[in-house]
Amino acid sequence: MGQRSVKRPEIIIVTGAGGVGKTTLSAGIAAVVAQRPARTLVITVDPARRLADALGIAMRDSTTNRPTPVPNAGPLDAVMLDVTASWEAITRRHATPEVADRLTDNQYFRAVADRFPAAQSYAAGEQVAEFAQSGNWDVLVVDTPPAEGGIEFFMAPRRMRELVGGRLLRWLTGARIPGRRMFYRTAARPMLRLADSLLGSALLEEIADFLLDLRTLYDGLAARAAAIDRLFGQAKVLVATTDSPGAMREAGRFFSSLPEINTAPDALIFNRTLPDRWITARGPKGTEAEDIALRENMARWSIEARRNRDARQEVAARLAVPMATVPWLRQPPTDISSLADLITRASGLDTILESAE
Amino acid sequence: MLDRRLIIVSGKGGVGKSAIAVALALRAQRTGQRVLLSAMTDQIGAAIHLGAHRLEYEPATFHGGIEAMAVNRAEALDEYIKLQLRIPTAAPTRALSRAMQVLADTAPGIREVITMGKPIFDTWQGRHDLVIIDAPPVGQLMSYLRAPAVVADLVPTGAVRDQARRMSEMLIDPDQAALVLITTPEELPALETAEALAELESEQLVHLGAVIANRVLPPLDVPPERLATLPDRPASEAAEHHVGLLNMQSAALAPLPIDIHLPYLFGVHTPTEVSAQLADEWDNGA
Repeated sequence: MGQRSVKRPEIIIVTGAGGVGKTTLSAGIAAVVAQRPARTLVITVDPARRLADALGIAMRDSTTNRPTPVPNAGPLDAVMLDVTASWEAITRRHATPEVADRLTDNQYFRAVADRFPAAQSYAAGEQVAEFAQSGNWDVLVVDTPPAEGGIEFFMAPRRMRELVGGRLLRWLTGARIPGRRMFYRTAARPMLRLADSLLGSALLEEIADFLLDLRTLYDGLAARAAAIDRLFGQAKVLVATTDSPGAMREAGRFFSSLPEINTAPDALIFNRTLPDRWITARGPKGTEAEDIALRENMARWSIEARRNRDARQEVAARLAVPMATVPWLRQPPTDISSLADLITRASGLDTILESAE
Repeated sequence: MLDRRLIIVSGKGGVGKSAIAVALALRAQRTGQRVLLSAMTDQIGAAIHLGAHRLEYEPATFHGGIEAMAVNRAEALDEYIKLQLRIPTAAPTRALSRAMQVLADTAPGIREVITMGKPIFDTWQGRHDLVIIDAPPVGQLMSYLRAPAVVADLVPTGAVRDQARRMSEMLIDPDQAALVLITTPEELPALETAEALAELESEQLVHLGAVIANRVLPPLDVPPERLATLPDRPASEAAEHHVGLLNMQSAALAPLPIDIHLPYLFGVHTPTEVSAQLADEWDNGA
């Protein structure tokens, strides 16, 4: 910030359906990128805390959103975002201390913090932006939450602007930022009286208090949300899939929805690829039980290999971006070197990662 | 399991929730029950496994008897205001509906109570013997299950609070409602299932009906010594691949209380074939 010009870090976002191995791929990509060498941070916004698992490290600092060095991995750090803490941090940054105290004490605020997914995703986006601006890393690798959550992650900045500048606030308080007294005058309107009889005035007052306080965050939040939007726009977006029909459908959804928010997937990663040579292979000829079992097994997997190849061809033709293929491992990688190894063995991924520079 | 009024099917994303929700509906329907399948937040999975292009808010009949619908929040909200809150027709329901819509967009508890409420109201209406919910992934479902309690806490009086309380009571009654949790025999889905089970145990938001493992591989009866002597070619690669996956699967499932194992279906199947086959395999897996 300020005088010293900090080189903007490269951001790689890995997204896609649940169960396609996003977290493993993100960790592996981060491990490989760190070997360039580049100061790399891998970030997960998945509440299930899977990254620690895949990286084989205990993330004791997760609640404080503090990046931790990954042992034996060069200049690689990992962080798991705790969204409740992020929400508090957002509030503290954008509100006066008095308002921030009131907001974080408000039960409605806590309900929002816990349960409004756009808020969680927004908090995650703000954290990513903060890491990006710190100048501490050259590359950020971001693992997004699965499915709807993944798209939500990209949509969250504008949803937050809608929340704090939005219709509910205007409905409850009138067009301009009013005082509390104004709200209670407004509450005399018939529609609010009806809402009052359904919900009780105590709740309406609490919501109004909450929203009036939240409203004071608006300018800061709106500017910040626009900055996060731009950051996502510059990021390299990699969509992961497998041969599962559901995962391929989800991948397609990213291609149709992301352009709405001025970004687009840059590449596809096809995980769990089976060898094409299995398609025509046959098992041993013998007549012993073991031979028969092996033959049946080969037959099963040759069917799967054909389905796998057809899926790859279909998705590559349909989505028309560079595609990398990652082999199907018998055992999930359990340490940092096997994570990096998986990415090194992938075909086409090195080109995609290089062109991200 | 199918003798309850409401079954909620959930699990981590991508484990086959919709296929199994439809398989359950098929089984119930075969025993003569009137079934409603309700897709709560994402209808694509349920629609394709029923062989439908899309589902509407108004139930339609598929597969020779299963009725299915998709919860649409705007319509659910209108119905909620008219039927559940019993707003007199003279009241400005359109204005109220718009106002509630705005409130529901922003206020998380209310939005979720309305979405979760629709299939529960359908259960109360009694036009079906069984309502099966194709629910969102388990992480999101927890917010929906908690929503009635959140609303009951936030809303001090009135009809909204009474409805929320009634919903909570239904969800925790094991004679009426049950959650069916799906997992696949893989490390991370199993881990998330274990976490979800712990949360359910401590919060007691809904009765757990069954834990189902989907896509379980068949055993391969070849001793490891034989595998080691196989020449290096596809058959041995495929055997090692299979045995490796089997080991991973049994390690993943070991800590979980699995009630039913459903098989991995090899080869190409249409989504409707998948659900029909899973319904057929059900008794073998119990």
